[in-house]
Amino acid sequence: MTEEIQKKMQKELELLSGIQKDYRKAVAQKQQLDSQLNENKAVKEELLLLKKDAEVYKLIGPVLVKQDLEDATQNVIKRMEYISKEIKRADDHIFALENKQEALQENLNKLKIDLNKLKIKA
Amino acid sequence: MATVSTAPAPGMHQIDLSKLNLQQLAQLKQRLDQEMTVFQDSLHTLKIAHGKFMESGECVEKITPDTKGKTILVPLTGSMYVPGSISDTDNVMIDIGTGYYAQKDIEGAKDYFKRKVAFVSEQMEKIKTLGSEKSKVHKAICMMIEMKFQAQMQAGKPNAS
Repeated sequence: MTEEIQKKMQKELELLSGIQKDYRKAVAQKQQLDSQLNENKAVKEELLLLKKDAEVYKLIGPVLVKQDLEDATQNVIKRMEYISKEIKRADDHIFALENKQEALQENLNKLKIDLNKLKIKA
Repeated sequence: MATVSTAPAPGMHQIDLSKLNLQQLAQLKQRLDQEMTVFQDSLHTLKIAHGKFMESGECVEKITPDTKGKTILVPLTGSMYVPGSISDTDNVMIDIGTGYYAQKDIEGAKDYFKRKVAFVSEQMEKIKTLGSEKSKVHKAICMMIEMKFQAQMQAGKPNAS
């Protein structure tokens, strides 16, 4: 009986550590998205501050390509929308992983208590 | 008591530290440790950014109409330079992020860097206040852990002896 529970615990622990790894990855991804959004925000503000006839270039590979200010602004806004959507998705993902972690932790605690009971009996 | 120093910040719910057990306290402490490292790292990054913007601002100051046509050495790589001359002293190109570059006149560039420096300084201040708040909570938790630990030791003594 004890061995069975220990085996179960081992399995649960492995699952938990896997989810924790995923969780850390998801959080790191979200942080990256956050910083991208912030950068885009700053760029948008800067573009809006520019005069209408200001020259704007975009770095594509090693060359600077001239861009229309209006186009550039629209592009940045579109990208911000996309990143926001991605952040929402990442948030959901993180939330789901958190729930999974909690459930596993509870299971583990239960198993621990069972194990202790058995030990006391024995 | 220790809980007094953990003044609740807006959006943070207050937890009575004395009600938590040692394990929970240790977990909380670990999380705070992590958060404080993140703050330290961001502060460090911001400091670097601040320095870079300051430096760029100073460089712009050096470009005056007098410098037109003067020869300069343009770095092609970190260790190789080719001679060049400044043909336009009125406009500079500024990397405004995400691969976009904007042409600005000298005044505009100065203004840009001034704004950026102010922005970064503001962020640094924010993080500093947040960090000191966290370290206060951290101290309170450490004290609580100490107290609980000692209480446990004392409670455990009569049994042991």
